[in-house]
Amino acid sequence: MILLTKLVVGAVGTIVTLGAMVCSEGFVSVRVQEKHPGGTHISIFAPALLLNGGLRCVPSEHLRDAGEQIRPWMPTIEAAMQQMGKMPDLTLVGVTDPSEHVQVSKLGGSIVVDVDDENETVHVSAPLRAMDDAVQQIAAAGPKL
Amino acid sequence: MMRISMKVGVVLCLLAGAIAVGTIVSRRAFAAPPEKYLHVRVNNSENKETVNVNLPLSLAEKILPTIHQGNLKDGKVTIGDAEMDNVDLRAILDAVRTAPDNEFVTVKSDTEDVRVAKSKGNLVVHVNETKKDGEKNPEKVDVTIPMSVVNALVPTDKREIDLVAAIHALADAGDTLLVTVHNATEEVRIWVDSNGSST
Repeated sequence: MILLTKLVVGAVGTIVTLGAMVCSEGFVSVRVQEKHPGGTHISIFAPALLLNGGLRCVPSEHLRDAGEQIRPWMPTIEAAMQQMGKMPDLTLVGVTDPSEHVQVSKLGGSIVVDVDDENETVHVSAPLRAMDDAVQQIAAAGPKL
Repeated sequence: MMRISMKVGVVLCLLAGAIAVGTIVSRRAFAAPPEKYLHVRVNNSENKETVNVNLPLSLAEKILPTIHQGNLKDGKVTIGDAEMDNVDLRAILDAVRTAPDNEFVTVKSDTEDVRVAKSKGNLVVHVNETKKDGEKNPEKVDVTIPMSVVNALVPTDKREIDLVAAIHALADAGDTLLVTVHNATEEVRIWVDSNGSST
């Protein structure tokens, strides 16, 4: 009985630790809702760590071009990510016209993009840390210097 | 014994009070200045479009030195001799800085009126397009740049425009309306303040 209790406690502890690790990078949220009748509705809410893990599984040859192009801009991207992490929440860009509304904001450690036009509503939210990791991985996939 | 305990208690209370007051004073003294934002707002009445951009100056200050493209390096734009056409920009700015408030350039033509002046510590440029037949709202441009920003833009004895120093000066200059452009269809406004939203 004591052994069983120890096993249960061990299993619960492992699950909680793994869960905490997976959630530590925050969550990526993507929602797309087409407005026409019967339109598609996509909703993804996934731990950023899993998405970055998925990026590691992409063969590097598929990321080589992107990596080569992004590498010269890495100091700029790193500086921007670092500084944005320190900034208070704010709307960086907002564009409104009669048919469309686009907003890019920094909200609680994440970059949030909202698009609302005549055809669809799109919401994307990604943690800055996860974006930084993803960009680092893509840059590392570029040709070796 | 009781009296000693009371004395120790009083001393401890005074010490705690002094530490608390010291902490508050030092926090106020070393508090970071409020973040400054560069706002750009474009209203187009023709297509009913509004664009708002809010850029924290600290973000621009950190990013600019990392960009190395063309003439831009380390947050500075190098101006070649050919582009300057033998004009000593520094000398001109020094002359403007030391001059009293005055109008430096006034041009009146059939198409527009231009005025460049120094006024209350600012370099001011006004361009008013002359109203043509049938035109409702001719274009009007007003630019106001604090002299501290103009001075920071051009470092001494160098053919460079120091954008980072200018942004730093802009952050120190207080709330400023930098540019307004009005014409028949569009209204542009660029300003700096401590408000994170462009309202």
